[in-house]
Amino acid sequence: MAATTTTSDASLIAITTSDGILMHVERPVAERSILIKNLLEDLGGEAPAEAIPIPNVNEAVMKKVVEWCGHHRNDPAASQDDDSDSRKKSTDIDEWDQKFMQVDQEMLFEIILAANYLDIKALLDVGCKTVANMIKGKSPDEIRKTFNIQNDFTPEEEEQIRRENEWAEDR
Amino acid sequence: MKRAHEGEVNSEHTTKARRLSNPDRLSRLSEELLVRILSFIPVPALLVCQRVNKKLSRLSFDSELWKAAYYRTFVLPRASRIPGIKDAAIPNRLHYSSRLSKWLEDGYLVKDGTQTNWKHQYRLRHNWTRGQCAVSEIVVAERPPDPPLLVMMSNSIVYAADSISGLRAWSSKTDRELLASTPVFGDADTPRLPISMAIDASEKDDGAERVVIGFEDGSFSIYALRRDFKRFDTLFTHPPSTNGMLSALAYSSPYLLTMTEDHLLSLYAFAKPSTTFGPLDPPKLLYSLRSHTAWPPVSLSLRTTATSMTAAIAYSLPTYLSGWTVGMQELRLSHKGELLESRLATAADEHSFTLSSYLSASSSSACSLSPIPGNARETSVPSGPSRSKPTSMSYSHPYLLVAHPDNTLSLYLVRSTSTALSISSGNRLWGHTSSISGAHVGMRGKAVSVSRLGDELRVWDLEGGMTSSANRKRSRNGELSVRVQPSKTGDENIEDDDTGRQAGLRFALDQRFDDSSVSRGWVGFDEKNVIVLREKSEGSQALVVYDFT
Repeated sequence: MAATTTTSDASLIAITTSDGILMHVERPVAERSILIKNLLEDLGGEAPAEAIPIPNVNEAVMKKVVEWCGHHRNDPAASQDDDSDSRKKSTDIDEWDQKFMQVDQEMLFEIILAANYLDIKALLDVGCKTVANMIKGKSPDEIRKTFNIQNDFTPEEEEQIRRENEWAEDR
Repeated sequence: MKRAHEGEVNSEHTTKARRLSNPDRLSRLSEELLVRILSFIPVPALLVCQRVNKKLSRLSFDSELWKAAYYRTFVLPRASRIPGIKDAAIPNRLHYSSRLSKWLEDGYLVKDGTQTNWKHQYRLRHNWTRGQCAVSEIVVAERPPDPPLLVMMSNSIVYAADSISGLRAWSSKTDRELLASTPVFGDADTPRLPISMAIDASEKDDGAERVVIGFEDGSFSIYALRRDFKRFDTLFTHPPSTNGMLSALAYSSPYLLTMTEDHLLSLYAFAKPSTTFGPLDPPKLLYSLRSHTAWPPVSLSLRTTATSMTAAIAYSLPTYLSGWTVGMQELRLSHKGELLESRLATAADEHSFTLSSYLSASSSSACSLSPIPGNARETSVPSGPSRSKPTSMSYSHPYLLVAHPDNTLSLYLVRSTSTALSISSGNRLWGHTSSISGAHVGMRGKAVSVSRLGDELRVWDLEGGMTSSANRKRSRNGELSVRVQPSKTGDENIEDDDTGRQAGLRFALDQRFDDSSVSRGWVGFDEKNVIVLREKSEGSQALVVYDFT
């Protein structure tokens, strides 16, 4: 497809991914991304003549992101107040999102990075919650194994922190 | 590794390199994103994260995380319990936001900004709610002093005064070292008997705590604790007075409120001294009043605002028909000492209740009615305050907590508005299994009480009073208080149950710490500690420090 197809359907936004693939996304879906939404607003509501380059996200990840945005296209707009913890407790991820996030770790972290870059707060939170759920209820060793984290503590240092935090353990 | 090989076929060189090194994708995230992930993790798991590796450890100490956790755990549930707050705030604003949150009395923590160690604060509150603490002792007297010694605590400093050892101060922090001491002799080096003590309640930045002691001969002295010099400076000594001994004091610099044995209430104002720790000029007597109705125990309180100050005296009051109740006199004065208003209130009496207000005030107890023929009135309000003579009284606006010898406490809420002063009908607090000798209510409606045997220390959360339905429910389930469980090993006396507490036999068998009993039931606390004065069987006295940090 050519880069100048925008005139054919004004409601479609063209973007190019980091691996040079051109994608067409419906405008309300693309506007789940605050980055794209602000960009489009800067253009005065007119559809851009050229495809928007998204240099940080490849096609495979972008497809997942677009799938998510498509499912959540009618969600109320995210609150501008970043701090407001209307974000629910960590375990609460809706069922569709849970299924959506059943991907390998590489994709999971790519989605988080993409959501962060594209400024899609709700998707970012779903991603972060998914990771949080992978951390919860595990021992430090299990967490390290899960994410392949190098332990840079000496056993003594680790024991020291454990003792400092004893107060929170249930008795 | 199978996956990795499949991937290699299609991936570019950079990806290949990353895959071969079997990447730790979590740690590669920016710190901002990691903190965002950690913000979804509950506190126990957060503490586990601190042990994973150094980067996660550092991030999971992030102050904002703990600030949010503190807010969710301790501020928010409180806010929803206090009637009125929810309505005042826009409902969905009652959540954590670093800019918009209501922090209630914890606002000072926020004001301190980066100074506040939120994890530390979380731990402190956590230990309070669990009743977890360490116990230690400060021996203050080998022999029983006469009269018994006075003890108070403020800002992690314990003050004690008696006629033999004078005024002494200890740090209630881990070392429990003696900070300073001074004799309390009068002008002619004659010994004086301390009767009452108060600590300056006004907020000051000069780092010195001011203590006032009232004596048997009607004199009083003001001391400033100079921690840097390890000594007390005497700021002022008032000569003996014919009005009799000073039985109660309240001090909020520059104002001092005193009450004599025969209920003469005096309010003094000190002029600002030329130097910070210079001696004070004799104060001006702003107001004095003789009360004919107040009975001990009394509790004085002094609150200042920009335009006026409020002096309040809470006292017990005998009634003709039904034993004892509580009363309060409140004086509002301008800073020049003009009396703006004086008003009295006594606790709302259920005898004057209409049925509907009775039902709404104490519906929780309606199920436990135990009608005794011929005396239906007396027994119709089992949740009402005890009718026995109070043994101790503690007033910290708006809470008035009264201890009774019958194992219960009564909680009254004082309502003081520009138009009216009233005291709610009392509510009885159960939980103790032996008689209560002392109770103290302080910040955030948190109260501590100790039984006469000293074997039971309870921490109460009285927030919102008994009007909130949540608290009524908790009261029914006995969840309003937590029994303190010290973590010090070999000191199980606090967790001992009452079996085998036949005192005589125990005394004969051994002279253990738990044979002690609280002589005067003195108890007090600040943010981090609870202090109880115990008298051991041999008559020596010790301060027991329950450390919640």
